[in-house]
Amino acid sequence: MLNYILRKLLGLIPMTLIISFMMFVGIELMPGDAVDYLIPPDALSTVSAEELDAMRLELGLKDPFLVRYGNWLVDLVHGDFGYSIQSGVPVKDLLAKTIPATLELSIAALIFSTIFGSFLGVISALHKGSIGDNTLTVFGMVGVAIPQFLFGLIMILLFVFKLNWLPVGGRMFPGNTQFYQRLNHLILPAVTLGLSMAAGVMRYSRSSLLDSLNKDYIKTARSKGLSEWRVNLIHGLRVAMTPVVVLVGFRLPMLIGGSVVIEQVFQWPGVGQLFVKSIRSQNTPVFMMIAFFDVIVVLLSSILVDVVTALLDPRVKLS
Amino acid sequence: MEGDTIIEVKDLSVNFYTNLRCNKALRNVSFNLKKGRILGFVGESGCGKSVTANSIMRLLPELSRIENGSITFNSDKGPIRIDKLPKNGSEIRKLRGSDIAMIFQDPMTALNPVFTVGYQLNEMLLTHTDMSKKEATKKSIELLADMGVPAPEERFYEYPHEYSGGMRQRAMIAMAMACEPKVLLADEPTTALDVTIQAQIFELMLKLRDEKQMAMMLITHDMGVIAEMADDVVVMYMGNVVESGDAVEVLTNPIHPYTKALLDSIPVLGRGKNQKLEPIKGSTPDPFDRPKGCQFAPRCDYATQICLEEMPKEVLFNKDHKVCCFRCKEFNNGK
Amino acid sequence: MRKKSLSKKMDTLLYKENKGLLKSSNKSRVLRKILANKLAVVGAIIFILMVILCYGAPLFTDYSPTAIDLRNRLVPPNSTHILGTDKIGHDMWARILYGGRISIFIGFGSAVGAALIGVSLGTYAGYRGGMLDSVVMKFSEIMMSFPQIILVSIIVAITGQSLWNLIFIFILTGWPGMYRMARSQMLSIREEEYIQALQAFGIKKSIIAFKHMLPNAIGPIFVNITLSTAMFILQESSLSFLGLGVPMEVATWGNIINVAQDLTILREALWVWLPAGIVITVFVMAINFIGDGLRDAADPTQVG
Repeated sequence: MLNYILRKLLGLIPMTLIISFMMFVGIELMPGDAVDYLIPPDALSTVSAEELDAMRLELGLKDPFLVRYGNWLVDLVHGDFGYSIQSGVPVKDLLAKTIPATLELSIAALIFSTIFGSFLGVISALHKGSIGDNTLTVFGMVGVAIPQFLFGLIMILLFVFKLNWLPVGGRMFPGNTQFYQRLNHLILPAVTLGLSMAAGVMRYSRSSLLDSLNKDYIKTARSKGLSEWRVNLIHGLRVAMTPVVVLVGFRLPMLIGGSVVIEQVFQWPGVGQLFVKSIRSQNTPVFMMIAFFDVIVVLLSSILVDVVTALLDPRVKLS
Repeated sequence: MEGDTIIEVKDLSVNFYTNLRCNKALRNVSFNLKKGRILGFVGESGCGKSVTANSIMRLLPELSRIENGSITFNSDKGPIRIDKLPKNGSEIRKLRGSDIAMIFQDPMTALNPVFTVGYQLNEMLLTHTDMSKKEATKKSIELLADMGVPAPEERFYEYPHEYSGGMRQRAMIAMAMACEPKVLLADEPTTALDVTIQAQIFELMLKLRDEKQMAMMLITHDMGVIAEMADDVVVMYMGNVVESGDAVEVLTNPIHPYTKALLDSIPVLGRGKNQKLEPIKGSTPDPFDRPKGCQFAPRCDYATQICLEEMPKEVLFNKDHKVCCFRCKEFNNGK
Repeated sequence: MRKKSLSKKMDTLLYKENKGLLKSSNKSRVLRKILANKLAVVGAIIFILMVILCYGAPLFTDYSPTAIDLRNRLVPPNSTHILGTDKIGHDMWARILYGGRISIFIGFGSAVGAALIGVSLGTYAGYRGGMLDSVVMKFSEIMMSFPQIILVSIIVAITGQSLWNLIFIFILTGWPGMYRMARSQMLSIREEEYIQALQAFGIKKSIIAFKHMLPNAIGPIFVNITLSTAMFILQESSLSFLGLGVPMEVATWGNIINVAQDLTILREALWVWLPAGIVITVFVMAINFIGDGLRDAADPTQVG
């Protein structure tokens, strides 16, 4: 097991290199460069071409492509994540500010959606065909069809404006840094993100449990005289858990990347917002670091999924 | 006492309601399971053998129902009408595993793949007895050893997919025997195994019958198994019992045309390669479109008008030998 | 309580069976199965209705989606404008109908495009195996590890925003999934005996792959196409909402909702953004119903 993890982690390195290289190429191909975005359009006429060039030279934008990529890599290995071209703030600081915000939102949504979704899915499966099951199925179908941002907008309309229960956006009122004080800001985006993910988890765990309950070992368990709850939950659910865990594992990277939309709707100051801004202004250092971490999260989560699957299902052999 | 009836099934009829149709899977099935005797159930696939065993354990799928008839279990506390008990209620659960146990055809799918064999064995003991986990583990290891599983102390902690086919079936039998049940229902226990393993499993089952005076129901589609193992036999066709009685008697003196045809279609060792095999003409009817009257009549060489129109009643011959056929008296006299 | 109703249903069936009422159904078994999946039928009807409405838009509205009417700004739904107007006087009903053309086209076109590439590669590479297969596998792995939003943002920034660029991006991100699915289908069919028989006859590998194996894998592929369409429509709407998708002048369902980021519109002018959102949800639901129905129909183990 440990061997497998080590091997896979080592395998990460070539992957990340290739992908980061491709991203650097992508940024290269984008028309214009960071300097174009530093100067506001109206001021552009006052700046001469030589001055723009000088700025470029200073920022290192005139170096050949491979040199710039190499520099970026070397800096990365040394823990230097570069500086935002826009603001001069070290990227590390920007990330340090925004990552916790995104993590807070993502983890809250993840926990909520997994527990809530699986719970409902199990109940649905055990009472298959009942009114409750049918209702939940309808909710589930709506939940996977509704775009996340739309759901967010509706939630805002309902809870912020019509009912006036919750604040409209952002992460906190200035000064209220304690968790319980910020809770009212966190609730709406977390529940929105969580509910829309829960729909998928619910549908999947329901069908997984139904599949499992159809198998022969359930009959054997009954024939031993075990109680119904033991048959369904211990024998049935335990086997059904594995595919659901895999699903949640694959959703992990989505929480980092997909939160872009939610953060936009709720004005949540997380990595997603930072990313959108950096793309729009061709802020390479910021953009590359975010993208880099995103890739790492994707690759790590797939290793995590493999490991957890092997732990849950003894038949799985990690090759 | 040997020979005492421990389970009595009378006129059992079961319907399946799948696909929005009604399939009359069992019709008026009657037989007795006796202590210390193996009752063999033989017939083609789909004739209702498994349905019968599942009915006794009340393990029928959701879309099915016992229409009428009775299943009576003669327990220490008196007769219990199994068919009247609520489907997965506490009374039937008390019987399952501790008084009546069942083993299934494919031990690979019948055992839960994510739990160790030992865990599944312990489950049986912990549910029906007051044993502690430690005591149960000790007893389970003993059981595995009794059933011939080598190195039981290690095997206890292994998963089903790490066992071989024969070992898995032995583990299943150990699980079934854990609480010393009075009745064992075996649904084609060796069909998925090699012939050599089959012999070992049967040896094991005979030992259990003799040592524990267990009543056994052995379902198979193989006449050879019947010949070797069964004390009494029930021949089934399309949900009906066509012939039943002492195994030796029925096999040497088959009266129902179906039984005869079954025996005729088996190649016999020693008769050489040119022996004539007589397959039974025709094929089994669609279960949703059953013939009126005797189910075998369309394929029977001896069918008459009444055979096609009415269901024959059971006729008793000598001792236990029963047949469901209008013309059975003639056939017997013809011998 | 459910047990009683189950018992009653069984009694009805038994009665009908005894009267011989149920026998003839056998011939229309497939039809019965399809009709039994009422959701799929409902989905198909909704889908067809919406496609007709959008592609036959001139029949259902007199307005053009780009016509501005500054005298009628932010008008709530009334008799002339069924769904009211937005900030610069666009008729919302027209925008939704014409916008639907774009959204549906992007969704379906990308799904089909991704399928064409992914399935062809998956069929041939999967069957062939060897070097080609490993290379394409590795490539698809890289593409799949690329966080979606990043890939989309980069390409949008490079190629600019347009309808076709968006389709191109979706196909680029969508083909690996199709490829893997087709490939795994191929891998399992490859072991079947009739394939080995064809090989023994000396038939060319590409013919075996495309003519014999592919038709057997077609079921899951169609299911995947329908579900991909739904996914792409959702993605397009998200991107357009963020302003990274189709440029704002061209109406798409996602574009229309973009204006809801303005809190006044959100609060006061629901008719501007909510209908488009409902339309997306309903359309995606309809597609999901169809996809589920196809999946059930293709699965022989499903019993009614």
